[in-house]
Amino acid sequence: MHRAAHTAVYSCSKIVGPAMIRQCLKCRVPQQLSSRAYSVVPTPRDSEEKEMLHRILRVDHAGEYGANRIYAGQMAVLGRSSLGPLIQEMWDQEKVHLAKFNELLAESRVRPTALLPFWNIAGFVLGASSALLGKEGAMACTVAVEESISEHYNSQIRALMEEDPDRYTELLQVIKEFRDDEIEHHDTGLEHDAESVPGYWILKNAIQLGCKAAIYASQRI
Amino acid sequence: MAALLRALRVGRALRGLGSVVSTPAAQPPCSNLTRGFHRAALRLQDESKADKPPSSSPSSTPYHEHYRAHSAEQEAAGAPQEHSVSEPAAEEASRPNTSYQDQSGEQGEEYETEEQLQARILTAALEFIPLHGWTVEAIAAGAEMLGLSSASTGMFYNGAGDLVLHFVSQCNSQLTDILAEQHNQIQLGQAEPKKPAEFLRDAVETRLRMYIPYIETWPQAMSILLLPHNIPDSLKHLSTLVDDMWYYAGDRSTDMNWYTKRAALTGIYNTTELVMLQDSSSDFQDTWDFLDNRIQDVVNMATTAKQVQATGETVVQGLMGAAVTLKNLTGLNQRR
Repeated sequence: MHRAAHTAVYSCSKIVGPAMIRQCLKCRVPQQLSSRAYSVVPTPRDSEEKEMLHRILRVDHAGEYGANRIYAGQMAVLGRSSLGPLIQEMWDQEKVHLAKFNELLAESRVRPTALLPFWNIAGFVLGASSALLGKEGAMACTVAVEESISEHYNSQIRALMEEDPDRYTELLQVIKEFRDDEIEHHDTGLEHDAESVPGYWILKNAIQLGCKAAIYASQRI
Repeated sequence: MAALLRALRVGRALRGLGSVVSTPAAQPPCSNLTRGFHRAALRLQDESKADKPPSSSPSSTPYHEHYRAHSAEQEAAGAPQEHSVSEPAAEEASRPNTSYQDQSGEQGEEYETEEQLQARILTAALEFIPLHGWTVEAIAAGAEMLGLSSASTGMFYNGAGDLVLHFVSQCNSQLTDILAEQHNQIQLGQAEPKKPAEFLRDAVETRLRMYIPYIETWPQAMSILLLPHNIPDSLKHLSTLVDDMWYYAGDRSTDMNWYTKRAALTGIYNTTELVMLQDSSSDFQDTWDFLDNRIQDVVNMATTAKQVQATGETVVQGLMGAAVTLKNLTGLNQRR
């Protein structure tokens, strides 16, 4: 019943209120606010669902933000090498992801994680230092991070599917799409000799441990 | 902090044992209190309005629409209850525990939940605050006015704290309604969008004006809010208030600005509230002037920060240019 009311309410692009629906169909919508007639994230029914959705969005936003900064760090070092265009391409895809999450956060009024400045610096440092190890080092870092992120997205997809796949269709679609992109990046990293960096196993596990800690922290703080 | 708020919400839900089951409650305290406030207001004013204009007004974003749809649903469900509730409330006193039975079944038309009853009593008690202050006596007087026994103050484990928090929550809901209405006016093109500074100034003034009827006793209320066991709830109300004000002012930031903006507005709001307490000018004009100045300060700071950043970037570019020139001159820049 709630969902019916919800979708009925969305029948008009912006304005709700029975008396105004006829009028609203003619009104223009200012562009700075969301002008879509639906939202990717359903409005939470209770505080538990709200908490869950907000955590998901917050940590995903932090993850994309961090990934952005990692690629920025790698570009700063390897930007003019032969790997430059490839890293730039992957970076651009991450920028698209970040923009999407910015939109979702603003729409659902989710608080962004307070650790953003920290991820800003840490991401850049990680990207730059892994790039200083050479092209293989940068690729190894990419592989480690992308594997962490895609694992994380997978567990979110599982959680949402368990809850109610129909309710979260659009959100699931978004996360699945992003997860596929991240897996692609992961495979690209492997193709470009990530495993041939000395100390690959240690590097990979250290980075993945850091990612796990970052995910844990960003969900809560 | 999110975990803390969540634990508090859970605690709150557990405390209000007779919470509504059938209607999905996204914000149980807020919506129920709004509803309780509306019904109590209707009974007190002895008017019979079938429509509730402010709370059914249109809204524009998903968050809005849910808030509105939810209120609209509750108001629609509340209408049939109007008649049964206006029966002598003495019946209520004799069956205060029946709301427990309500939990498993669908919402009966004649029962109100314990939370709604509490909201009604607290709203009625607001009238007696000038007389008794923010105390349990005021709650007792409110209960008696509704025809209940004054022993029903036993329902309120937090005593005066419940009264103050209820009032604060009610004021916040009213403000949200007003801001949502303004938002819709702008969406419909019937009003010009305000600049954020002006918008916030008006929002803070509107909100603080709600304290004017109780301004004599407000210091007592503030001290109650500062008691350790009330601090989590009062902080939660304050943070949702500030978040709402910024949201309707148009803030959609998703970085550290989210925090700095809200911190700044919290500071402005709290200091203005304190100034208002000891303001004796007519219509609190000194307070509004103070508010103007504080908002202007923050605007100036933000402008200065932007300028500093722009200057910094230019300086860095200049330095980089100088470094490259030096490298070229000394022949170090040969890597090709």
